[in-house]
Amino acid sequence: MRTIILSMATLLTFAAAFAFAPGTNWQIADKYNVRFTGSGDVGGIFKTLKGTIVFDENNLPASNFNLAIDVASINTGNGLMNTHAKSAEWFDAAKYPQIKFTSKKIVKTGAGYQVTGDLEVHGVKKEVTLPFTFQNKGTSATFNGTFTINRSDFHVGKPGGDVAEAVKLEVMVPVVKK
Amino acid sequence: MFKRLLLLGLISGVLAGIAALIYQKVYSSSVGADFSNIAKPVGIMISNVVGCIIAAVGYWILNKWLKEKTEIVFNFIFVILSFASIIPAIGAKLPLDVNSPELFPGLVIPMHFFPALAFFTIEPLFIKISEKTKNIVA
Repeated sequence: MRTIILSMATLLTFAAAFAFAPGTNWQIADKYNVRFTGSGDVGGIFKTLKGTIVFDENNLPASNFNLAIDVASINTGNGLMNTHAKSAEWFDAAKYPQIKFTSKKIVKTGAGYQVTGDLEVHGVKKEVTLPFTFQNKGTSATFNGTFTINRSDFHVGKPGGDVAEAVKLEVMVPVVKK
Repeated sequence: MFKRLLLLGLISGVLAGIAALIYQKVYSSSVGADFSNIAKPVGIMISNVVGCIIAAVGYWILNKWLKEKTEIVFNFIFVILSFASIIPAIGAKLPLDVNSPELFPGLVIPMHFFPALAFFTIEPLFIKISEKTKNIVA
């Protein structure tokens, strides 16, 4: 009887330890790339990405992303377009200085993973689901994601016009284990 | 006369190129933005020389038609084209790894007026006033 109780206690301890095991902390490395492309010559990058990444392929419930992009770091390659993009008509960088993403749930898919979370752009918060891949190289890794968002959903720019509603985002984030 | 005009174009182009290169150095050191990978010194020099030689040929062609009115028409056209040439410079999209693209027009817009300035400055050394009142294209 005593042996059975001890065995069960040990099993429960292991199960609890596994259930609450923290995910792996990753630090965003240099040379990340947050690129957006729209119709015509609309396109550019955001140069500043910050945040925390906790991700473990074997422990997705403990994984989470908390990312922020500085709107003022936008670079379209043209000074006038940069100023225009930061103006009140588009991103309104003075009022909404950051684009934020906070994950709620990460699930495995056939090709990679899917993260569902709150994306906040231009002061508008919406739940989105974004696909991504994860290439683990031991102490370093790379997250890659390509997805499309509708700028009008976040009241970025006036609907219609020369800039298409759908904006393609390509995100490549190299990380190192903390 | 055509050879003299070509020489005028060549020398004014070289002078404009030298002025543009000096301006580029001064601009880069004063604002701290380096665009030498985009506006390359060789490219600056070639475009100034080519621009001034084309202007010289244009002067020669205009003179065939307009005679004594050549200079006023030529000056207007050269200045208008110099102004028009700044539009692509303002709208230029630089590579995304180049910082502060908003400082790029401040570098290249003044340069677009250097060929006209150099041409107008040394033109009296090549075309005498007496020739301007006559048909200079012999």
